[in-house]
Amino acid sequence: MSNNPEIPLEGTGSGDGGAAPRPWWLGGAVIALGCVCLYGSAQLPQGARYAAIGPGMFVTVAGGGLVVLGIALLVQIARGEKFEPQDAEDASGHEKANPVALVTALAAAIVPIFTMKPLGLPITAMLSFVLVARAFQSEKMWLDFVYGALLGAASWLLFTRLGLQLGGFLPIAAI
Amino acid sequence: MQGFGVALQPMNLFYALLGSVLGTAIGVLPGIGPALTIALLLPVTISVAPTSAFIMFAGVLYGAMYGGSTTSILINTPGEAGSMMTALEGNKMARNGRGAAALATAAIGSFIAGTIATILLTFAAPTIAEIAFVFKPSDYFALTVVAFTSAAVVMGSSRVRGFISLFVGLALGVVGIDKMTGAPRLVFGRPELLDGIDLTVVLVSLFAVGEILFVASRFRPGHDEIIPIKGFAFMTREDWKRSWGPWLRGTALGFPIGALPAGGSEIPTMLSYTIERKLTKYKDEFGKGAIEGVAGPEAANNAAAAGILVPLLTLGLPTSATAAVLLAAFQNYGLQPGPFLFTSNPDLIWGLIASLYVGNFMLLVLNLPLVGVWVRLLLIPRPQLYAGILIFAMIGIWGISGQVADLVIMVAIGIMGYVMRVYDFPIAPVLIGLILGPMAEVQLRTALAAGQGNPAVLIGTPLSTVLLIVAALFLLAPLLLRRLAK
Repeated sequence: MSNNPEIPLEGTGSGDGGAAPRPWWLGGAVIALGCVCLYGSAQLPQGARYAAIGPGMFVTVAGGGLVVLGIALLVQIARGEKFEPQDAEDASGHEKANPVALVTALAAAIVPIFTMKPLGLPITAMLSFVLVARAFQSEKMWLDFVYGALLGAASWLLFTRLGLQLGGFLPIAAI
Repeated sequence: MQGFGVALQPMNLFYALLGSVLGTAIGVLPGIGPALTIALLLPVTISVAPTSAFIMFAGVLYGAMYGGSTTSILINTPGEAGSMMTALEGNKMARNGRGAAALATAAIGSFIAGTIATILLTFAAPTIAEIAFVFKPSDYFALTVVAFTSAAVVMGSSRVRGFISLFVGLALGVVGIDKMTGAPRLVFGRPELLDGIDLTVVLVSLFAVGEILFVASRFRPGHDEIIPIKGFAFMTREDWKRSWGPWLRGTALGFPIGALPAGGSEIPTMLSYTIERKLTKYKDEFGKGAIEGVAGPEAANNAAAAGILVPLLTLGLPTSATAAVLLAAFQNYGLQPGPFLFTSNPDLIWGLIASLYVGNFMLLVLNLPLVGVWVRLLLIPRPQLYAGILIFAMIGIWGISGQVADLVIMVAIGIMGYVMRVYDFPIAPVLIGLILGPMAEVQLRTALAAGQGNPAVLIGTPLSTVLLIVAALFLLAPLLLRRLAK
């Protein structure tokens, strides 16, 4: 992806965009993913009586492919492959990553795993809303609580009426 | 013609309007595109008749193209890859006080291109569907192989990374109960995984969660500058004269390239821009706001959007992320796009195609006079906008089956989406692998079963042989070109 040349970029000097120059772990992760597939396919029949291939074959191909590609990626990395972060609206791939914002936004995605069942959608939505807004440098946190609660409650009402099964409004209080 | 009877029913008109409005809105807004929107609408539309739902989706698809051009022209932030070229000249025109003319040529060009492309679709689709009737499983398998290799090679900057994306999609696609033998695959004892991983969950996680993580970590606040439209300097007679050619040439480029596997909208818009630049009599205006540079790419963009519907409707072959989610929508209704859909559900197909004409007209009416309203959407502060997108993503995923497991998958795939953005992996191949992988597997196993396990059956028909050679060429062509260049 080439960046639009008309947008003036700040801090293009380093150009590394926070990406480590030699991301060995990336190749490792791909190989690991492939190994998980191969491990899973080892317990499946590769052939079948009526056809040449059984349920395990495709899994083996996917896993084997990932392992081979992971090795190819490692070779590329060893040769000094450059990784240019993609550009998005409101964000520049050339800027250094802000770890605090990243972790805050990630927390917003993780919170629902623990709160969705006991606390219900509206409260979960409120918590995630506040966290994402915080990650995007919103300063008025109390206002975000209000917006989040309103949006969460309103969408719960709307989508439940449209037929979605979103659980109770506030399960912990049995509502 | 019966299609118009379906499309003009008041209920369907309402859904076309709803889709067009939603599509334009998300085209204007950053961080949310047509694929994500349709994915989020899927659970809600399950109680809506399929014809109405697809009419709405078509509105979203076309509307996003219109909305994208508005932001490229007025604030120089192309909403998606397809409107990158529009931003080059369109924004310059807006700066010169000719914003209204740029918007007009974009909207009218989109309308003309969309209409011509829809006419081409009307005639091409049944013909291709007719041919596809005689496809054997081995032909279908070869076709999916072409789709895989072209998606992995064309989308993105590196073949290795393209194929990694594709294989991750293939691996995600095999999770769950094997359709042919009932054997559970890659579920590792988790009953939640038996049904497989839903395309919606993967798509929403990659596009919404991954995007939010990425933008949050590299956020640049306060860079938008909306250029006000001064007066109403509509297109002059000369503007019309200079727009006609680019509109038609853009359509001619966009439709066929959009219909090709992995053609997408990026390549035709770039080609159109390059060609207009070569052909124009006003070379010195290019780079300073030449109307041809807006008219051509915009037409190509919209024609390509109609183009992707050709392989999708006739062969069941998705060639972009949006097409993949449309295919998932068909499957949600228990429908399989392909030649048989034309005979089993003619109302749906022709109603959908007719609604494209209607939707295009609605969008023209919605966009030209109401540009000021759409631009106002950009005043939503970014923190609250992205927070809202996450809430809708969460509802979309939670609403599918109410399983905490899906929320865990959302986080895991969201992190993957973040990493893919940082290290420049293309995202669409994951979705194409995920949705086409199981289909490829079924066709492969059916073909082999029919051939009693002899792999020669895969090249048993002339078509399958040709298609597999094409797939191999996609793979090898860049290597050969590099050799030749040396």
